Amino acid sequence: MIVPYTHVMLLGAIVFLMGMICTLTRRNLMMIIVGLEIMLNAAAIVFVGAGLEFGQIEGQVMALFIVAVAAAEVSVGLAMVVCIYRQTQSLDPQCTEDSRCPAGTEKASEPASGP
Amino acid sequence: MDMTVYAVFFYIIAALIIVSAGMAITRKHMVHAVLYLVVSFLATALLFYLLGAPLLAVFQVIIYAGAIMVLFLFIVMMIRPAPAGERSLTAGRLAAAFGVCGIYVAAALVLAFMAAPEAGRPMAAAAASPFAFGFYLFDRHWLAVEMVSLLLLVALIGALHLGRAGRRNQSERKEPL
Amino acid sequence: MLFQPVPEISLYLAWTAAVVPLAAFGAILVFFRRLPKTAAAISVAAAAVSLICAVCLLVRHWNMDAPLQSAVTWMASGEFEIAVGVLLDPLSLVMLVIVASIAFLVQVYSLGYMAGDAGYGRYFGFMSLFSWAMFGLVLAPNIVQVFIFWELVGLSSYLLIGFWFEKFSATRAGKKAFIMTRAGDTLFFWGWLILLVWGGTLSILELNSGAHGLSSAMTTAAALLVFGGIMGKSAQFPLMTWLPDAMEGPTPVSALLHSATMVAAGVFLMARLFGFFSQSDLAMAAAMAVGTLSMLLSATMAMVSRDIKQVWAYSTISQLGFMIMALAAGGYAAGIFHLTTHAGFKALLFLCAGVLIHAHETNDMFELGRAGARRMKAAMVCMTAGALALAGIWPFSGFFSKEAVMGALAGADNRLWLFCGLAGVFLTAHYTFRLIFIILFPRTEAAGGPGARHGSVSANAVMYAVLGLLTVFTLAAGFFAQGFEDFIRIHGGHAQEGHLASLAHIASPVLAVAGIVAAWMQFGSNASDQVGFAEKIGPVGRLFARRWYLDHVYAWITGRLLDRGIAEGCRRFENKVIEGALTMITGGVVFFGRMAAGWQRAMIQPKLMAAFAVMFGLILILLVV
Repeated sequence: MIVPYTHVMLLGAIVFLMGMICTLTRRNLMMIIVGLEIMLNAAAIVFVGAGLEFGQIEGQVMALFIVAVAAAEVSVGLAMVVCIYRQTQSLDPQCTEDSRCPAGTEKASEPASGP
Repeated sequence: MDMTVYAVFFYIIAALIIVSAGMAITRKHMVHAVLYLVVSFLATALLFYLLGAPLLAVFQVIIYAGAIMVLFLFIVMMIRPAPAGERSLTAGRLAAAFGVCGIYVAAALVLAFMAAPEAGRPMAAAAASPFAFGFYLFDRHWLAVEMVSLLLLVALIGALHLGRAGRRNQSERKEPL
Repeated sequence: MLFQPVPEISLYLAWTAAVVPLAAFGAILVFFRRLPKTAAAISVAAAAVSLICAVCLLVRHWNMDAPLQSAVTWMASGEFEIAVGVLLDPLSLVMLVIVASIAFLVQVYSLGYMAGDAGYGRYFGFMSLFSWAMFGLVLAPNIVQVFIFWELVGLSSYLLIGFWFEKFSATRAGKKAFIMTRAGDTLFFWGWLILLVWGGTLSILELNSGAHGLSSAMTTAAALLVFGGIMGKSAQFPLMTWLPDAMEGPTPVSALLHSATMVAAGVFLMARLFGFFSQSDLAMAAAMAVGTLSMLLSATMAMVSRDIKQVWAYSTISQLGFMIMALAAGGYAAGIFHLTTHAGFKALLFLCAGVLIHAHETNDMFELGRAGARRMKAAMVCMTAGALALAGIWPFSGFFSKEAVMGALAGADNRLWLFCGLAGVFLTAHYTFRLIFIILFPRTEAAGGPGARHGSVSANAVMYAVLGLLTVFTLAAGFFAQGFEDFIRIHGGHAQEGHLASLAHIASPVLAVAGIVAAWMQFGSNASDQVGFAEKIGPVGRLFARRWYLDHVYAWITGRLLDRGIAEGCRRFENKVIEGALTMITGGVVFFGRMAAGWQRAMIQPKLMAAFAVMFGLILILLVV
């Protein structure tokens, strides 16, 4: 016998909340993607737990699809991050928006490269 | 309340997941964040195994903790962002963010209180064999499998295109220097 | 019970025979490629070990009464298991000894022949690979193992044919051999898939004993498809033109390829699955027709070729046709016996040709004659012995095996096959002695001793020792025909001697002598002009020389039909239809994407916040209300 169903749900809820906080408060595109990953992971946990509770293998199938979608999302997301970083030399989400980025935050610490 | 070995394992793993995820989202240095995330995902794989999904646990290790996180590490090391370069949010933004989180917590709490009373009994342990899982997947969800494969293909092409586009822009931008 | 387990010692012997060449191959390619002497020593030693093991096995099991088999599971998927193992029965034992001895002799011969070549080490490595592939094929107890080693044989012969890869023609010949045999192998692959899916078994013994679940129509289909693989490997009509081109490889390679390994593998497979083929009359009839057609066609091609190695190559196709005819007529022992004797005398013929070519550096038989090849007495004697065996003259081994083949053909229902076979005997004797007489009796002769023109490495004692051994075998093998038949026939079919058998037995040697006499009149005697009757009639000569335009047919099929027809059509379709549609679709996507992107610019986190707030707010409202 494992723990009650509600405890798995609670775990999923807490992890999801952490992912949400990460996406909403970190000012770093990469960390936003990390937060998304954590949220997807929480969803997978909940699906597997529900699958066990209701005796349905469907939950695991959904979790598998979550993994696949996460893979697709990460590859495109990271490619976009790299693309943005090449253009703005910054990972700040605000810097990419209409170049309202205050000078000297990220650019100052950029390693000297090129002529 | 009697605790079985399974339950003990569950709480240990749950604590591990929460702590490592918490560490991951608060790190300043992104390499550290990604490494904590790997720990969190590995713990999730253990949890999957405990909840009767051995094949999924293996996939979690291989795809999530293996492939995806390695991709993260590659990117982080490639662009080497400065660890201290992140600005803090304005107070208003921060308040709004936690407001949204508050709505979420409220919804979760309401859901918890509305839960049926029998939800408190422990779940019976069961495991889906990889054979049963695979058979079910390709028997009932073959179309979804095809669609996911198409999605992955599109992601591949998209990532490729973005990578090339970024390089082209960079070279154009650097030309006048 | 179809078989008994292999006794432990025999099992070790068989595994040793098979694995030692592989070890030699690995060692040579990894460590000794730059040390030619060491590489050659390792390779020859491995061949010797294999030969000793093979002979021990043959002696131990000379009186066997049931096939021996043992196998271990290699991989399992569901209920289907793939096993690797060893099957020892008279056929595999005989074949094992043939392959081991020819491989050993050819490698010893190569020590001298290949001396000084830049790729000496590589050559011996590939030779070992070739032997290993053939041993694995011979010992295989199931079709999967047969197929794996079948492909390895194809690969190693590709490597050896294209051994001098700096020459363009050599690489092209290698590719041609590889691709044309691959066409047959595809059929073979489908054939064993049928056996697996509908028949449920791939074990050779079970297939031969009829213990499979195939209906008679499916049996025929599977047998025909498997025979397609045999056609490719044994260079039978219509997949025959790769073999003459395969002469681009070193001559010892041709000797090995033509006698014991590559092309013999096809006939071996047919003998291996003889019980299975016998279950389908149609497949046997098709095999008979293909064998007869290839036998006659290649014999005519041999009549006009000027290249000494090509003549032997055509004769190989022709003799393989004889073997397939014998098997298809139910003469199991006759077919295998001819395979055995042919392995001996064909290796001899090629190695003799190698000596001549080595000394005079030309493949053209007229030039060889003019250059005084006949003064290399030992080589010429050995070659004549081989030619007599090929023509089927008593007391050479070819006489006995050809008699056996004719006896089997006489038992066939249709007399046509017997008469075709007899015609083949005449043609064989004719083209063989055409070559011998042209070299022996040149019209004009250059001055100078053998090899004096070039001063290159002439044949050394070791090479002549190999030739001598093979000549002795060619002379002696025929007298063991009865013992051989008793040994091989333990579980094979019994060919019934038809009422035409006595006629066939008399007619065959008479026709062989007639062929030699005809050759003498046209090429040997002083009055002759050394122009064959086929060449005198222009169109026929051209037809034969151009290989019945088979290569043109292939070129037409690949060039016109595949390339111009299908590929061009596909290209047009892609350019016009698919690309047009794609342009439209991508244009639409880009347009809508630009439009949608306009709404989404900037403000990631606030938007995320709004999305979360709306989503969870809705859930909250839904739950509370």
